[in-house]
Amino acid sequence: MLERAGVPAVSICTDAFVVPARAMADVLGHPDFEFVTIPHPIASLTPNEIEASVTQVVGEVVRILTRT
Amino acid sequence: MTSARELPVIDPDETRRVLEEYYERGWTDGMPVMPVTESVLAEFLAQTARDPDEVLLAMPHLNRACTVRLAAINAAMAGCLPEYFPVVLAAWSALQAEDYVPRAIWQSTTGTATILLVNGPIRQQIGLNSRGNVFGSGYRANATIGRAIRLTAINAFGLRPGELDQATQGNPAKYSACIGENEEESPWPAFHVEHGFDAHLSTVTAMTMRSVAHIEARHTILPEQLALDIAGTISRTGALIHETISACIALGPEHAALFARAGWDKDALRRFVYEHAVNTREALTAVGKDAVSGKTRWRLSSAHTEAVPDSTGGAEVVRVLGSEQAVQIIVAGAHNAGVSAVIETFGPRGGPPAIAAVESA
Repeated sequence: MLERAGVPAVSICTDAFVVPARAMADVLGHPDFEFVTIPHPIASLTPNEIEASVTQVVGEVVRILTRT
Repeated sequence: MTSARELPVIDPDETRRVLEEYYERGWTDGMPVMPVTESVLAEFLAQTARDPDEVLLAMPHLNRACTVRLAAINAAMAGCLPEYFPVVLAAWSALQAEDYVPRAIWQSTTGTATILLVNGPIRQQIGLNSRGNVFGSGYRANATIGRAIRLTAINAFGLRPGELDQATQGNPAKYSACIGENEEESPWPAFHVEHGFDAHLSTVTAMTMRSVAHIEARHTILPEQLALDIAGTISRTGALIHETISACIALGPEHAALFARAGWDKDALRRFVYEHAVNTREALTAVGKDAVSGKTRWRLSSAHTEAVPDSTGGAEVVRVLGSEQAVQIIVAGAHNAGVSAVIETFGPRGGPPAIAAVESA
């Protein structure tokens, strides 16, 4: 939705939502849509644990943002 | 008893093959569905003056919509009789008015379901139960009208579990939930009349429900005791995802009569429950729900980095209802015991209920 508005964006979801995320991409006409996954859950993590989880996917986020 | 000679000739293997075909295509809720042909569909569409292509409810984020035709096919598959179809159509109008479904509540991890409340003379015309076992099984109209909504969610919107339906647990009402109000044994005006509809009209009210919690109170003759029992059921901390909740109290006729005998009307009960459905700050702190998130307004611990005070400004006693209007009251069930229930609803937390009139063809 952000990208439709012209804002480069990368979706990050936890691995519990891979199937619905893929299904949403399909119904919106982008079956090849790339998104980043991190381990579930996040709501019960401490701030430090969240930071550690996200740090591991920064490279992947940059790769998708800058792909040609 | 019918003799074998008079029975219609069918091929059981062929019948079974047809039903299995529906399963293989993923078109069921887990139970067998009724096969639908063009002629069956025509019988349903003949019940309404609406265009078969008219959109009843759209989910723009899925690029999908439910039309009158799709609603009719799924109602037929659910086992509805054609004369139930105007009730199904009114249910879709009510769902559109409620506005939770277009905003994807059926896909949420919360696992809510729609419960329909039917008022007016249509209940008798189609045999829709409002009395004993009202939340239970045994009545075709209740079972199949509620199921028509679920099958449409599955087949028109593609909301299958584990795919676009992300419910963590769901709830049993996701098979079917449709009740009538027991207007005949209510001491008060019927729900639709209370909200401005003529008593001779029939209506469908759509509510998004999480659970039904029962209140056992067979002993009491004091309205305050009973109302406190109800308020205590509404205020349980487990229900608090948001800062406040909403609820529909389904009074058994015996409990409704108890209140009426004591001179309480619906507004008196509503006011009492609003005032007494509370938690202490201490109780909220004990479960880590004593503040709200500054971003989502969901309840969380005041120790959380996103925490901001809830809208009471730190009061020691915290209401779970945002306003008196967050409580709806209906009468349902048999006049045979002191049993009532709280339908825990997902909003509108204070707005008017979503009611639609049943149109005749």
